[in-house]
Amino acid sequence: MDKKIFRWISWLLILGGLLLGISALSLCVGSSGIPLKKIVSLIFTGRGTSAHTILFDIRLPRLILGLAIGGALSLAGVILQGMFRNPLVEPYTLGISGAAALGVALNIVFRFHQTLGILSLPVFGFLGAVTAILLVYSLYIRKGIIKAQGLLLTGVMISFICSSLIMLIMAIARSEDLHGIVFWIMGSLEEPNWLLIKVTFLISIFLLFVSYLFCLDLNGLALGEEEAVHLGINVERTKRLLFIIASLLTGVSVSVAGIIGFVGLVVPHFVRMYVGQDHRILLISSFLCGGGFLVFCDTLARIIIAPMELPVGVITGILGGSLFVYALYRKVAKL
Amino acid sequence: MSPSKISQSAISFLIIISLFNVFNVESCFSEDLTLYPQRIISLGPAVTESLYLLGAEDRILATTVYCQRPAQAQNTEKIGTVIDVNIEKAVQLKPDLVLATPLTNPKDIEKLQSLGIKVTTAPAAKNFSQICEQLLKLGKNVGEAERAEEIIRQVKARVEIIKKKAGGRASRKVFVQIGANPLYAATKDSFINDFIEYAGGTNIVSSSGSGLYSREKVLADNPDVIIIVIMGIAAEEEKQVWRRFKGLKAASNNRIYIVDADKFCSPTPVSFVEALEEMVRILHPQDG
Repeated sequence: MDKKIFRWISWLLILGGLLLGISALSLCVGSSGIPLKKIVSLIFTGRGTSAHTILFDIRLPRLILGLAIGGALSLAGVILQGMFRNPLVEPYTLGISGAAALGVALNIVFRFHQTLGILSLPVFGFLGAVTAILLVYSLYIRKGIIKAQGLLLTGVMISFICSSLIMLIMAIARSEDLHGIVFWIMGSLEEPNWLLIKVTFLISIFLLFVSYLFCLDLNGLALGEEEAVHLGINVERTKRLLFIIASLLTGVSVSVAGIIGFVGLVVPHFVRMYVGQDHRILLISSFLCGGGFLVFCDTLARIIIAPMELPVGVITGILGGSLFVYALYRKVAKL
Repeated sequence: MSPSKISQSAISFLIIISLFNVFNVESCFSEDLTLYPQRIISLGPAVTESLYLLGAEDRILATTVYCQRPAQAQNTEKIGTVIDVNIEKAVQLKPDLVLATPLTNPKDIEKLQSLGIKVTTAPAAKNFSQICEQLLKLGKNVGEAERAEEIIRQVKARVEIIKKKAGGRASRKVFVQIGANPLYAATKDSFINDFIEYAGGTNIVSSSGSGLYSREKVLADNPDVIIIVIMGIAAEEEKQVWRRFKGLKAASNNRIYIVDADKFCSPTPVSFVEALEEMVRILHPQDG
């Protein structure tokens, strides 16, 4: 037991260290390099200089949002994969992202953001996400039991319906609106509103804590539902609450940053491969690892073709996908 | 007073007046110009082109990689694409005015504004009068209103002559294609529609809004002329596609044209009239 705790603590230290390193890197590099030493002096002096602005008003908000979104998506992925005992489930499988995208597309096409302000975009995204959650929930959970198969298939169908509706909107939209929709779908950590970033960060941390109330239940569920019942877990209630936690994590992430693929699918698998199956360490490790991964990808996206910027989804897909295939191959080769 | 004295004093008076005037003009001139933005970032090809037209090119700090007209604009500092701005670089350059377009990422605009940089966005011009209005607005913005008015006066005069000439000719049915796969047409919402009408043509696309269009409808309407405004090899491919339809008048009379997309899609008054003149040559080649 002591050995296990020692292993967990060392993993946490490793991941925490990596996260710090990546954060420092992302603060240092960009169109103008700011050396680490200079950052320290900039904190105390240098108010009003352009380096100060770049560091604290451009890179820092992006870093924090990256940590929050990457963490939230990975956490949602871990919870959903554990709950459905299905390795292909990810936060976007349940149709939440599609519905959020549809909400934003409707907002842009009907020009609500011009009267209600630009902040109405994430609000509409979140409304879309909540609608999808309620729809799936009322169809499959109202009767008190979650039918995992039906739930997943419905989620996939909602995704398809939403993406077709978005295509319909894009086909009949004015060209100037088209770009707004495309931007949003590509996903980005560029968010001008500090308050929104702080709220997103707090919500994802808060939901991380809430998810810890269920870490033992998740361990039980991993054995199979029947075993979980025998262990005295209220399976249906747990699944209902876990579903809501994961949906909220996804809904918030998607409505703020758009659709950033792959983080919620790959990171949980990766972490599970190295840290182990126990959700007590898995939840926090996934959160840290997901945050670090997304910030790292975003840093790459910023510098690869500077002064232009790549959509961060390009990097998460290529880097995450190939790393994952490699890790899986190593694991299979060892067996 | 002797006449010589009178003339002397008159001359000195004149000199003083003129000196005063010069000073006056100069002081008010320099004062005026410093009141206007001195460090401008342009985020759209048409904006960049307009700044050159207005003679404000030495105040441009940076443009986008799409800003190719005029040729000198290619050598300016580049700060991203039309849709995506490198915020860090923009902050470093310390602009006092950023001119955005509807294509600019709205989050980038908001970010720049939250950092205390003045950003103005010109809406997409949908017809000739809006194009003129926008140049005028830009001129006022950068302190070159008179120059803008002068340009617009000249361009309008040229356009009027073309319109008058076109009025006496038989109208041609025209289809202007601005995108391939899916087929995209220039609609009533586009200033390209003005090219067609001013040059004595009728746009077979009578709808407005999105330009997504059906090929069957083009064949049914059977236009006299098809004009392809697409960049790259797609344009040549589209031309071949249209030529395959034997019943199409434009195909059998060999009246399918590919035009310079940069010029036809750049909404500044000067490129408008240049493109319009080209359109007249295309629609009515017999006029020479």
